[in-house]
Amino acid sequence: MPLDTSTTYPLTRLRLDGRRWNELRLLQAQISTNAASSGSSYLSMGNTSIMCSVHGPAEGRRGESSGSAGSSGAVVDVNVNIAGFAGVDRKRRGGGSDKTSSRIAVILRSTFQSHLHTYLYPHSTISIHVSVISADGSILAAAINACTLALVDAGIPMPGLLTGCTAGMSGSASTPKDPRHDELDPLLDLSLPEEQELPFLTVGTTTVLPVGENGMDGEEETSVALLNMDSKLHSTYIETMLAVGIDGCSQIRELLEGVIKGSNRA
Amino acid sequence: MSSQRQASSAAQIPHLSPAELSYLYTSLSLPNSPIRPDGRSPTQFRPLSAETNILPGTNGSARIGFADGTQAIVGVKAEVEKTVLVSDTLDVQHEAQGTGNGEGGEGSSSAVTGGHGSWVQMSIEIPGFRDDDALPVFLSEMMRESLVGSVGVKDKSGEENMAGGLKGRLVINKRWHWRLYIDVLLLSQPLSYPLPLLSLTTHLALLSTKLPKLKSKGEEDPFFDDDWAVAEYIYPRVLGVSNTLQVRPPVTLLVISVGENVIFDPTREEIAVADAVLAISVTRDNEAGSLQPLKLLSIRTIDPPSRLTQPGIPNSENVNMLGAPAPNENVAVLNPATGEEEVPGVWRPRRGGVKRSVIAGMVKTVLKKGGVGEEVLAGLEGVEVS
Amino acid sequence: MLELPTIQDTMNDRRRINGPAEGTRPPVYASHLKSGGATDRAQRQREPTDLRKIFLKTGLIPSASGSSYLEFAPSSSLANARSNPKSLIPPSSALKLSCTVHGPKPLPRSAAFSPNLVLTTHVKYAPFAARKRKGHIRDASERDLGVHLETALRGAIIAERWPKSGIDLTITILEAEDDRWWADAPDLHDASWGMMNVLAGCITAASAAIADAHIDCLDLVSGGVAALVSDDSTEDSAAAPRLMLDADPAEHRSIMAACVVAYMPARDEITELWLKGESSKIALEKGDQRSAHEALIDGAVDAARGAHSVLSEAVRETMLRAVTPL
Repeated sequence: MPLDTSTTYPLTRLRLDGRRWNELRLLQAQISTNAASSGSSYLSMGNTSIMCSVHGPAEGRRGESSGSAGSSGAVVDVNVNIAGFAGVDRKRRGGGSDKTSSRIAVILRSTFQSHLHTYLYPHSTISIHVSVISADGSILAAAINACTLALVDAGIPMPGLLTGCTAGMSGSASTPKDPRHDELDPLLDLSLPEEQELPFLTVGTTTVLPVGENGMDGEEETSVALLNMDSKLHSTYIETMLAVGIDGCSQIRELLEGVIKGSNRA
Repeated sequence: MSSQRQASSAAQIPHLSPAELSYLYTSLSLPNSPIRPDGRSPTQFRPLSAETNILPGTNGSARIGFADGTQAIVGVKAEVEKTVLVSDTLDVQHEAQGTGNGEGGEGSSSAVTGGHGSWVQMSIEIPGFRDDDALPVFLSEMMRESLVGSVGVKDKSGEENMAGGLKGRLVINKRWHWRLYIDVLLLSQPLSYPLPLLSLTTHLALLSTKLPKLKSKGEEDPFFDDDWAVAEYIYPRVLGVSNTLQVRPPVTLLVISVGENVIFDPTREEIAVADAVLAISVTRDNEAGSLQPLKLLSIRTIDPPSRLTQPGIPNSENVNMLGAPAPNENVAVLNPATGEEEVPGVWRPRRGGVKRSVIAGMVKTVLKKGGVGEEVLAGLEGVEVS
Repeated sequence: MLELPTIQDTMNDRRRINGPAEGTRPPVYASHLKSGGATDRAQRQREPTDLRKIFLKTGLIPSASGSSYLEFAPSSSLANARSNPKSLIPPSSALKLSCTVHGPKPLPRSAAFSPNLVLTTHVKYAPFAARKRKGHIRDASERDLGVHLETALRGAIIAERWPKSGIDLTITILEAEDDRWWADAPDLHDASWGMMNVLAGCITAASAAIADAHIDCLDLVSGGVAALVSDDSTEDSAAAPRLMLDADPAEHRSIMAACVVAYMPARDEITELWLKGESSKIALEKGDQRSAHEALIDGAVDAARGAHSVLSEAVRETMLRAVTPL
């Protein structure tokens, strides 16, 4: 069923689930959900919910770590599993992992490999296991947030919290932006029906606490750690979407900080 | 990876030294009162927390977490599917044979309405294992076989509920049926053989599974009531004697024997010294006149990892002890449970199989009135299924 | 037509020309069924305790360190149908399988250290083995059989005599047992009973092949099947199910429960037990105090004892061949 944003959205300025353009879905998170792992988290953004567990840093498997990869720092190993019951229809798989999950795994691996202070743990492996138990859009963004929480829980040093968020446009946005009567709004944190219809991107940002001489002014620097877009839209809209997405990331960062501070893990 | 795949049926062997194994075996095989590392009694289960209906997007779901941190989530999803088996010739067959077939005739006429085992699909996801590795496949076949194998009961009024067990419940009419997908998700690498955890979680998920209420009648194309509140449980809530639910999904229990003792819900260390490991599936028996409260559905042996452990070396064979006076206790004795000569305190990997009397004893502990099987089912009933 | 062949996407393997994914069955015409359909059904003509004859020979594959070939004698109905064909479809089938053992050989360098012999089993149906075509990739039931077989053999092999080594055991099933009579719709107990007979055959054949490969075992382990069969010959519907040894599923209208064991007679021990089905309503002789599952296990053990006599004879022949050069 196509999402008819052209009629509903301009009239009410409310999205299908009743949100305004700049509103996040309800974000709930918990850390230390699984005692059997070094670090774990549960995170839900709206109806998307994800459980993540981190093992390590631990000695890598024989054969892998003997190569040059493990000698300079820890290897991040990401495993994504989208449960069969996660979507609306039960997903059929022909054994092994499917395209979506392996794509997410690759993105997560490269993002966290460069984000974490892996040089502290040579010859070791940090393995992250992500289970998507309910999928309703923004899976990649939610997975980034869940991984960050689990890695914090595992006590693995990183320069700052890495948070992810999606941003889209409320129409196909294929023509150049018209400053006089701009009917398209940027949208924050897309749900599955919106994701299927509208152009969107996923952005992940991190704050780096300033150090040294430059750190005197005490201002945090935000840097983009990940940017991923598969859809097509006119280049004039990118800037708006990116700004909205980065803003969403910092909103999420505050929420996650609250979760970490609120947890009673010593 | 290859080593993981080889340790197929039994979960990975913990890194215990032969001395530790021998100590563990000795304390677990103490006659009549085994001492378990965590102080449980032989029939006691590990504490667990459970909740059901955690995923709104599924027909039924459950989560169980053991105290050691291993967790499993099970989601059940149902889809309507067209029945492809065309049974015209079978009817002809039937006429040709007349009605004097007794039970067999009944069986094939109800075949149209009897459901098919392949309508229940089960997949198990264990971190660190591929879908088609031996362990997930073996576990899912084991649990599926008892699920589709259990046949429904006729209660006293003669009205059938759950005719044909779970399979029968999936039939909508002659041309349509439900297909049930049971997806089991283990959230971390298993710390012990995951069977009890997965089986209990699946049990709860199935207990909470609802199917939409059918509005169409007879052989029409099915359409359903939109109202989820009137949806019907796949395992109907019929209270039997003493206010217990009459129809229950089966549970599979993991039982080990060490020496002469029978031990339930073993940890990974306990499995590592087991003489025999059995998976026993039971369900409630409601047939009038049955003596036992439970019905046996299946038994499978599981390869005990104790066969792959490292042996200890008795002093008499140890080169480092050469010339040292042999202590008195270093004399081989016959282990009554395995029938092999062993030096006390020196670990030998288990060899051979299990005696029939031991199997019978293990099954009896599960099935008997007031036995472990009944206790587990009663305990699971305590979980609020909303 | 009994079942229409369905054409599904053959996505699984592009390098081969795959057969239909779901398999096809030869057409069955209603007129044909009317004329003499009922008589075509296979009927058990053995006594409940009679086993089918087993053909077992070792050392057929020279390149393997051990090998064996096993065949069950076709049941009488199948033999009749073959000599006097009335239909293109045989009423039942008989198990045929071959087993090879490679090793002991050193474990691959990537594998972890093992103080014991590591046994790997592969059970594969030939695509044409069953009435329904099997794919080239092992499916769940084949992997399941492999695990059962591994459990059965691990108990018999004295594994600590070969540290850091492995053996590969491969079984190819050329003709499999049916799960039910070919024209029967799956009934209430539509479990794959044929698999249990296949497993019993696999165990016996694998044991012979391991002996042929000169791998030390505690005893020759043999497989046996017993089943609870609800009686089909009488018209009395209340007839309680009876215990049958080595039941051919094609010959029985309804199998209630079945059990397969891997049994070592010298030690009176079971290394593998697989029991499933509704075993509560059994009719035993008066005074028999055993419960149904115990009776089933005992029956399967008796069947395994029968198979053991064939097995030991085959292994003796192997020995004679080894000591008396041709």
